[in-house]
Parts: sequence; structure tokens; C-alpha cells
Amino acid sequence: MLKLLATRLMAAIPMMFLVATLVFFLAQLNPVDPAATLLGDDASLEAIAAKRAAMGIDRPLIVQYGDWISSAVTGDLGQNWFNGEEITTELRDRIPVTLSMVFGALTIAIIVGNTLGISAALKAGRWPDRLITVVSSLGLAVPNFWISMVFSYYFGVKLGWLPAIWPTQRPDTLLEWLKPLVLPCTALGISSSAAIARQSRSSMIGVLQRDYIRTALAKGMPVRRVVFKHAIRNAAIPVVTLAGFQLSALIGGAIFIELVFNIPGLGNWGVDAILRANIPVILAFVMVAALTVVLVNILLDLSYAWLNPKVRPE
Amino acid sequence: MTTHLEPEQVDATDAVADAHDDSPKTPSRFWPRIRRNKVAMAGLVFLVLISLVAIFAPFLTSHDAIYATRFQDILFSPGEEGYVLGTDHVGRDLLTRIMFGARYALIAGLEAVAVALIIGVPLGLTIGYFRGWVDRIVMRVVETVVSVPAVVMAMAIIAGLGPGLTNAMLAIGIVYSMIITRLARAEVFAAREELYVDGARAAGAGNNRIMWRHILPNVAPPLIVQTTLLFAQAVLAEAALSFLGLGATSNQASWGRMLRDAQNSIDRTIWPAIPPGLMVFFTIVAFNVLGDGLRDAFSREARGGKVGVGDVEAVSKKSSTKPIPERSLLSLRDLSIRFPRPGTHDDVSVVRDVDLDIGRGEVLALVGESGSGKSITALSLMGLVPDPGRSSAASIVLDGQELVNMDFDDLRSIRGKEIGIIFQEPSAALNPAYTVGRQVAEPLIVHLGMSKAEARRRVIELFREVGIPDPEKRIDAYPHQFSGGMAQRVMIAMALSCEPKLLIADEPTTALDVTVQGQMLDLIGDLARSRGVSVLLITHDLGVVADLADKVAVMYAGEIVEQGELAEVFNDPQHPYTEGLIAAIPRNESRTGSLPTIAGVVPPPWEWPSHCHFADRCAYVTDACRAASVEMRVSKHSLTRCVRADELDLAGVKRAGVVSIATDGGGS
Repeated sequence: MLKLLATRLMAAIPMMFLVATLVFFLAQLNPVDPAATLLGDDASLEAIAAKRAAMGIDRPLIVQYGDWISSAVTGDLGQNWFNGEEITTELRDRIPVTLSMVFGALTIAIIVGNTLGISAALKAGRWPDRLITVVSSLGLAVPNFWISMVFSYYFGVKLGWLPAIWPTQRPDTLLEWLKPLVLPCTALGISSSAAIARQSRSSMIGVLQRDYIRTALAKGMPVRRVVFKHAIRNAAIPVVTLAGFQLSALIGGAIFIELVFNIPGLGNWGVDAILRANIPVILAFVMVAALTVVLVNILLDLSYAWLNPKVRPE
Repeated sequence: MTTHLEPEQVDATDAVADAHDDSPKTPSRFWPRIRRNKVAMAGLVFLVLISLVAIFAPFLTSHDAIYATRFQDILFSPGEEGYVLGTDHVGRDLLTRIMFGARYALIAGLEAVAVALIIGVPLGLTIGYFRGWVDRIVMRVVETVVSVPAVVMAMAIIAGLGPGLTNAMLAIGIVYSMIITRLARAEVFAAREELYVDGARAAGAGNNRIMWRHILPNVAPPLIVQTTLLFAQAVLAEAALSFLGLGATSNQASWGRMLRDAQNSIDRTIWPAIPPGLMVFFTIVAFNVLGDGLRDAFSREARGGKVGVGDVEAVSKKSSTKPIPERSLLSLRDLSIRFPRPGTHDDVSVVRDVDLDIGRGEVLALVGESGSGKSITALSLMGLVPDPGRSSAASIVLDGQELVNMDFDDLRSIRGKEIGIIFQEPSAALNPAYTVGRQVAEPLIVHLGMSKAEARRRVIELFREVGIPDPEKRIDAYPHQFSGGMAQRVMIAMALSCEPKLLIADEPTTALDVTVQGQMLDLIGDLARSRGVSVLLITHDLGVVADLADKVAVMYAGEIVEQGELAEVFNDPQHPYTEGLIAAIPRNESRTGSLPTIAGVVPPPWEWPSHCHFADRCAYVTDACRAASVEMRVSKHSLTRCVRADELDLAGVKRAGVVSIATDGGGS
């Protein structure tokens, strides 16, 4: 198992390198001149040139690239061009915010999605199944940022049950930390719940028709045991694949939710950076998103080994 | 296909599997299927309407989409004349903006999807067809790009191209092209192996021609489905990126831009966000249901049904008065099984009026070709007829206990405890996720209340009895680590674990290697005899029952056609179908000539006639056979369902030349 983990981690390194390279050169195409943006509309050409030299962006691209890569390897991601902060410091503040939202949404999606999917599979073809199928088709299509606006208005502004925007103070208690997460996580989790419900339903239906389920029933096992012991582990494999895929989707989706609730996470930071060609931030933003996805996929590979003895290393 | 802009990827194998079945003539059943799908059609109609609104938007409204037309009394609520939906925070008519928004949505969608297809299809086809190092490099890049969340990657590309609607959709198109590339490549990989490609190559077609003329049409179904789903994603992407300010500008009345504007006044009202949000939502729903409909039309998903409960309903019939023999362990009276006929609302009987008697310690062979209904008959004894099948019987008595109308928990305590069963495919019958030891121990723990340790000891004993070498070690192995023969031994151990009174062996050797078939039958026979277990042996091969069975019941097209002592049936068959099965027994000595078999196959249940079911394949058929339904009757020593039984002199094993098998009635 450790060997599997090590090989997968090793394989992730060239992939991250490729992501960094791709994004670095892509970002250079940006027509916006960060130095000019930084100095404002009235800046003279000389002032801009001086600023460019100070920022180091007058050097040849390949030098800038080599410079960035070599310091990134040591854990130094440079400074934010616009506020001079260390990128790593900003990441330390922003990553927990975004990830708690993403994993909160994923937890909701896994619980709600599987509950709905399995219930539908067990009532396949009858009204509970039809209802769940319709609800999940609709749930899939709800734009998360739009439903966030609706939630934020009704539950935040109008009813005042939960914060409509992110609190500015640091939370003191667990409850204070959880409260502002409820609406964003729910809004973010809706379409993932629907996606997981659909997958869980169809894979459960498929598994329930397998010969080994008939064997378990023929042995006289109670239906509950057949479903939750014999079927669920086999049905979980495609659901786990989808959950990994959903995680990637949720990281993307979080960007929009952050804008609606004014959450100081990675999304707002990244969007702002793109609009102003703040390259060190763009690079860090994409790298963190990619790295999270890669790491979670490694965890998923390990979980396959638990679920499916056939892929377990001997 | 979630709304996080992370497109669901069409399963390459699943969607196309069915399409290949009837390729290259796929479309024949496609159109009727999609047209019957009302939901998909509703989606299509909605999309047509949206397109019409998009095209004719300037003629449908007198307001301007970009400039405010109302400067006082900003209307946040719908209803006033001339402003059906009200205005936004600067006084622009919402309905007008919605109509123009449809233009941006569809154009943006088309742009992204076109980019994705133009890059993805040729790239995927080429690397999939030629493979090699180009394939490896391209796939490396593809895997890298898709490892980054789609929207983050699109933002990275926008960072290079600069913001704006066209650039944003170009970026989305580039990201989605990776998905198309991967799908097209996977499909080509599968299609390359198909016969039609070999055929085209043999006919001298060049690579290009094969790729575009032969492979593309066959990989089209999943691509069409994926494209439809991507269109939904692209519409969402337009809204989402414009919402972030990376797409449409303030001069473009897109739905996403409207949502961004609505965000500005959200502390006062949510209303301006409602119409554009619903439009995005319904458009995505429409594309999704259309995509799902297309997928369903190309391939069909398993339907599923109620789990575990296939209880037998009671019927009262005249023949329920048929006496039950004294030494009987199991007596079945008037069993019928019905299934809904696919594609119709009608039920069709797959088993009709079956009576069976199995004595204590007796081996009854139930013989017939595939499709005759013998396996489903056996499953019905345990209440395991799969949903939506329905079974009914006048009576099923097991050791004095009536099983018909028994409640589920009582029936469950019969399953595995009183009746054990061995299935045809041992490798599929074992759960791949658990060790064989756990699976064999399960009935011991549930039915007999053994502790885990006790059960484990018992399983090791059982493994030894069924001839699994090194049982202490093998008990912790998984099913995939067993050969078919060994897996069947595990199944036998499982079936016998609770000392059942009846063992059902459903084609126990069919899926096994010829070399182990004999061993397996001997094992079943020996174990049954030493434990005094009755056996219901189901097989299509009369040859295998000779050494094992005491009695034979021959089944054809859902009915028992002959039933009697093994020796009687073998030496002096009373039904032409039995004669045919005997003639089909493989013989050792006559290697010349072809194996005589019965012409044709068992017809599907909905084609079974009301008269003799075998009439159409029978060599002795007369008009009398087609006059009326045929009842079971006594003929010599056996029961038969043939009107001509008395006049016919049918060939038994001796005359058929089957001298190599014993006919002394097996081991009893």
C-alpha cells in the first residue's frame, strides 16, 4: 500500500511541473501590463518601465520562468505584485477557507447523494424512484452561484437566519466557524448531490442484478444485510470515482460562491489576479487547485484498493 | 454535467456498447425510441423556442437591451404594463434583456462546443488510430489539463487571452476539447478492434478513409451525447464567467451579466436575479434531458426491481387435489411464472402448470434446452424469481411445510438452511469484495447462530470435505484468486453449510472446464448420498444425469413434457422431445458423422402456442397435435404430455447407440 502511495506521489511531480509550465506561459500572453495597472492611468512610460524592471518582468521569459520554478521548488512562491504580501502567507489564510467549504459541500453531496440514490435503487421503477430521478435531474441543472444568491437573500437578508456574507472577524467558537459555512456549502453541494444520486442509483441497480446478490439472498440473508453489506461495497466503486471528479468540480464551483458571499478564499483572489495579470497569484491559484485534485485522486486510488480486492497489490 | 462547469463524461464503453450491436444500421430503432421519450422531446421543443426568441429578439420588444428606458420609479417587481418583468437597478427592461440574453447564451454555447469539436474530434481520432508516441504525449497533456478543475483551467487560459465573452468561450472550448479528445480516442481504441474495420482494411481502404468513413460513424453516438451535455455546460459557463466579470461586458445583455448586475442590488431585492437564473436553469435542464434521452435511445440501462422478495402467490386449482406421495420431501403443484413481455404491457407465461415431486434422499434431474424454464422453476422454490416476474402455485410443500404465501422472514429462514443452491457461474456467484471464508461462514452465523470463530472452524472442515486444498490458507482468499472448479467447490461448501434437506444444483458444471465437470458431479453425488440430501439437478445435458439421478423430469417451453424413473425414460422415452435429447447425448464410439440434434431452438415465450408446444419442431407431428392443449397423462411407466404417446415407438439409449452410459438408475 505504501509502495502504491509512493508511486502515485512520484507520478504527480511531472504532472504538477507540466501544469506550472503551461500556466506560466499562458499567463504571459495576457495583454494587460501589470506594471501599468499597478501605477494607474497617469503613470509615465518611464515610470512604467522602471516599475517593470523593479518587478523583474523586463527580463527574458525563460529567465523569469527558471527563476519562478527554482524558488517554487524551495517553497517560495514569490510576492503578490499588488499588495507585496508573501504568496505563501496569503495561501495559509485562504486555503483553509476554500477547502472547508469544498469538503463541507462534498460531505453533504456524499451523504445526500447516496441516501437518495440507494433509496431510489431499492424502489426502482416506482414512485419514490421517479421522484428522486426528477429531483436529481433538476438539481444537476441548478447554477450554484445563482442558488447562492437566492439563499443569501432569503436566509441571510430577509429571514436573517444565517449570515448573508462572510463575517469579518475571526471565529471564536466552533459554531461561529460553522454558521457562515452552512449556506455556501449547501448551495455548492446541490448539483454534486444530484450527480452522486444518479450515479449511486444506477450502480446500485446494476449491482443488485448481479449473481452474487442472488447468492446472498439464496443463503437466506436479510435484505438489509444484502444491500448494505453485499451490494454497497461493489456499488461504491463508480460512486467513489465520481466523488473524486466532483471534488474537482467543487473547487471550481467554490470560486463563484466566494464572490456571492464575499468569502476571502482562493476564488476571489484568483479572479482578481486574472483581471489584473497578477501572475504570481495566478500561478499559485492554479497550482493549489491542481495539487488538491491530484492528492485527492491518490487517496481515491487507495480507497479502490480497499473496495476492490482485485486491484489490491499482492 | 453538474453546474460546476465540470462536464460529466460519457462512459465510453457503456454508451456505445449497444450502438455497436446493431451497427452499422443503428438508426433504425433510434428515432422511434427518442421520439417516444416525452421528456427529451419537451427539452428539444424548449430549445427550439429559445432559439426562435434569440433570432427574433429585436422584433419581439420595443425596449433596448443595453440602455435604460426608465429613469424614474425603478421597478424591481414584475407586472406593470410595458415592463412585464420589471426593470433592473438602472431601469433596463428585464424581459428585453432576457430575450437578447438567449442570443448570447446560444452563440456562446455554439462557439465553445464548435471549438471543442474542431480540436477534439480530429485529435482524438488521429491519436486513437495511430497511437504511438504522439498519443502518449497528447494524452499526457490532456490528463494534465483535466486534472485541473475545468473552470480554473479556463480562467488560466483567459488570463492569457484576456477577458471578454469570445475569449471566455474559446477558453471553455479548449478545456472541453480535452474531454472530446479523450472520448473520441477511447472510442477509436474500441472500434479499431471491430470486424468492420478489419473488413474495410482488407478491402483496401486507406487510413484516412477508414478513420472518417468507417470509424467516425460508429463512434458518433457517444460523441453526440457528450456534445449535447457540453452544450448545457457551455451555456452555464457563459453565465458563470460573465458573472465573475471574465465574460460578457456591460454592453452585452447576457444572462450571466444580468446576474452580475443583480448581485449589485441584492441587499434590496433578489428579483432581477430570478428571470435570468431560471432561464439558465431551464436551458441546462433542456440540454441535459435531451442528452439523457439520446443516451437512452443509443443504449439501455438495467431496469432494476424489488430486492429479494419473489414470493409465490397462491392459486387454487382443481389439480391441487393431486395426491402428494408419501416419501416426498418436496412437492410442487401447478407452478406458473409470468413476466411482462418487453416493450408491451402484456404478461407472458414462462412456466406453466409444473408439478414436481422429490423423495427423501432422491436425485431428480430436471432436463431441457436453455429457454425451457428449468432454472426459473428452481429459483421459484426459494422465492427468488426476480422482479418483475411473478410466480404462483397451488402448493409447494417442503418437508410438511407449506411455502406458498409464507411471509418473508420465514421464507428467509428456509433459504440457505433447508434449501441450498449451487449456480451455473461460480465466479460470478461469489461476491468479489469479500473473502470466500466470510461468504461461506455467513449462513452459519445468521442461521445457526455460530460465533465467528466457530464458523471459521466449520468452514475449514467444509472446505476439506469439498476438496479444497490447504483450506486454512484458502479461506482468506478472494474469489478472483480461485479457478472456476475451485470456486464451484466453495459454492458447494456454502450450499451444504447448514445441512439443508434439499440441494438445488443449477447447471453446476456448464461453466466449468470439461476436465473438472465429471469430478464436480461425482462430488455432488457423493456428498448428497453421504448426507442423505435430496438433489434437484438442473441440466441441459441428459448425458450427465445418468450416473447421478434417480428420476428425470424433461421440460420444454415452460412445461414438463415427460417425467419418470431414469431407466424407464432412458430406455423407453414417451415424448419425441426426450427422444431428441437422448439422441443428442455425445457418444464415445461413433466419431463419424454429425451429432444429431433437434432442429431449431426453443421459441420465445410469447410465441408458444396453446396446443402442444413442441409441435413445430416435432418429427411426428399430426393435426391432432395442433388441435388442443395437451395434458399430462400416464403412458407406460412414465407421465408424458404427448397425444401420440401410445402409437409412437421412440428410440431410447440403446437404439440411439448411446451404449457408454449406465442406465441402471444411477447410484440408488
